[in-house]
Amino acid sequence: MNGRERILSLLNGEQADRLPFMPITMMFAADQLGVKYRDYISDFRVLGEAQLLTAERFDFDYVSVISDPAREAADLGAAIEWFDDQPPALQEDRALFADKAALARTRVPDPLGGGRMQDRVDGVAYLKQKAGKEKAVEGWVEGPCAMGADLRGINTLMLDFYDDPGFVRDLFAFAVEMELGFAKAQIEAGADLIGVGDAAASLVGPRWYNEFVWPLEKKLVDGIHAMRGHVRLHICGNTRKILEGMGRLGCEIVDLDWMSPLQSAREQMGAGQVLLGNIDPVAVLRNKPPDAVAAAIADCHRQAGDPYIVSAGCEVCRDTPPENVRALHTYAVSNRPGARR
Amino acid sequence: MADSAKLYDTIVNGNAKDAVAITKEALAENADPLELVTRYMIPAMDEVGRRFECEDYFVPELLLAARAMKGAMELIRPLLVERGAEPSGRVVIGTVKGDLHDIGKNLVASMLEGGGFEVVDLGADVAPEKFVEAVEQKSANVVCLSALLTVTMPSMKTTIAALNDAGLRGRVKVLVGGAPVTQQYADEIGADGYAENAGAAVKLARTITKV
Repeated sequence: MNGRERILSLLNGEQADRLPFMPITMMFAADQLGVKYRDYISDFRVLGEAQLLTAERFDFDYVSVISDPAREAADLGAAIEWFDDQPPALQEDRALFADKAALARTRVPDPLGGGRMQDRVDGVAYLKQKAGKEKAVEGWVEGPCAMGADLRGINTLMLDFYDDPGFVRDLFAFAVEMELGFAKAQIEAGADLIGVGDAAASLVGPRWYNEFVWPLEKKLVDGIHAMRGHVRLHICGNTRKILEGMGRLGCEIVDLDWMSPLQSAREQMGAGQVLLGNIDPVAVLRNKPPDAVAAAIADCHRQAGDPYIVSAGCEVCRDTPPENVRALHTYAVSNRPGARR
Repeated sequence: MADSAKLYDTIVNGNAKDAVAITKEALAENADPLELVTRYMIPAMDEVGRRFECEDYFVPELLLAARAMKGAMELIRPLLVERGAEPSGRVVIGTVKGDLHDIGKNLVASMLEGGGFEVVDLGADVAPEKFVEAVEQKSANVVCLSALLTVTMPSMKTTIAALNDAGLRGRVKVLVGGAPVTQQYADEIGADGYAENAGAAVKLARTITKV
């Protein structure tokens, strides 16, 4: 099996020849190619070549266009701080929807309108053309809570849940409308699966997650499914208290950050859910020796059971020792799904 | 007559409007401002921190409580200054140079303020010399440094070096925190402490300042 076949087999409920290997790499990938991160996020060819090189060098089963949360925000005209060699950041003190009335005046951008969203769509097409037969190609969109936080300002949004619930619902609905268009463009460009990153959702707790975030995440996931795309859900941070809801979204892959226990996820999400993760990307993958990485990922697999995909809990940090990434790979290629239980 | 005990509940429940109203009424009836702080407000924020640590509360609840506490504090602070009351300690806090992530730093700042510290919040993307300047000007005894990215963590080390170069390191305790930061990293860069969350930061600040 090649990487694409391996991942798609698992997602379709079939037997894979070994555990798939799908770490998130961004700055790590840029460093592999020896390019500045600003170039990586600004030109799909640079991102594509870095992803291809990294996937080849470490035998990943997929390539991805994940890069930063400011693609959609940039095309909407949000204020962004750019850095030479690290991800851009939204400027909260000049948030696009600092004035709530601006939401009603704003139209969703065209993902093929020549901006940063189009660069990502072009990246998907580039990766599909270069490696789409051997590697799964992953597109990426923001979830409603993450996008809402980017556009409103994360500190302000946290208070909006209490102060103005109606605005939060309208904001999230706007985000999902935009992300569905973005996902569609990436699927049409050749993405096999779409990553949905909803980092801010881990901050709000179960009450507001279930009331405000979950219904819009569900709409986004169902919409991607209707386009025949698979979904990888990734919520950075501690999601321990919202695992049950995350499981009910119906995503093909639930990708957990290191703070969320895989065993609890398995108990709450059921036997069929593909779980991915989740060793600590800093304290373990970056800082420990390879044998400790191997032991940690084996423990993750033991907790998660099968179906399971080998990965860190979040992005592989840029200065992670290559031998530690290889330790993850060794575990993946040495283990056949289901064989160890 | 104001029911000062309700000040505790309004803060724990994040009701800024009622927290301000009760404080106004209590002060109008000559309530002791220091007692309002020590008997109701600090215990309320301690309870909020406890609930946050055991995952009964999350970021919105913590920010709402902090807003209620700040609303009441705005009325009380001038009276405390008037009578020369000293805070538990003076903290300079900021997200380090190159990093614009500030929600974790804001949570820590709010909890420290709720814990009786005077907090000078320098915001995000703060250069080492700004920390030095603030420590000198405010006579701070604690500096809190936050970072969310591994690529910006080295700015913590640079900031500690700047405090050292300015001859201030001996009089301030440096605490560090943020998602990628570990106790090991804190030790490596010569910080005085590492806290995993906002509640732990308050406990640590109290311990190292012996409050």
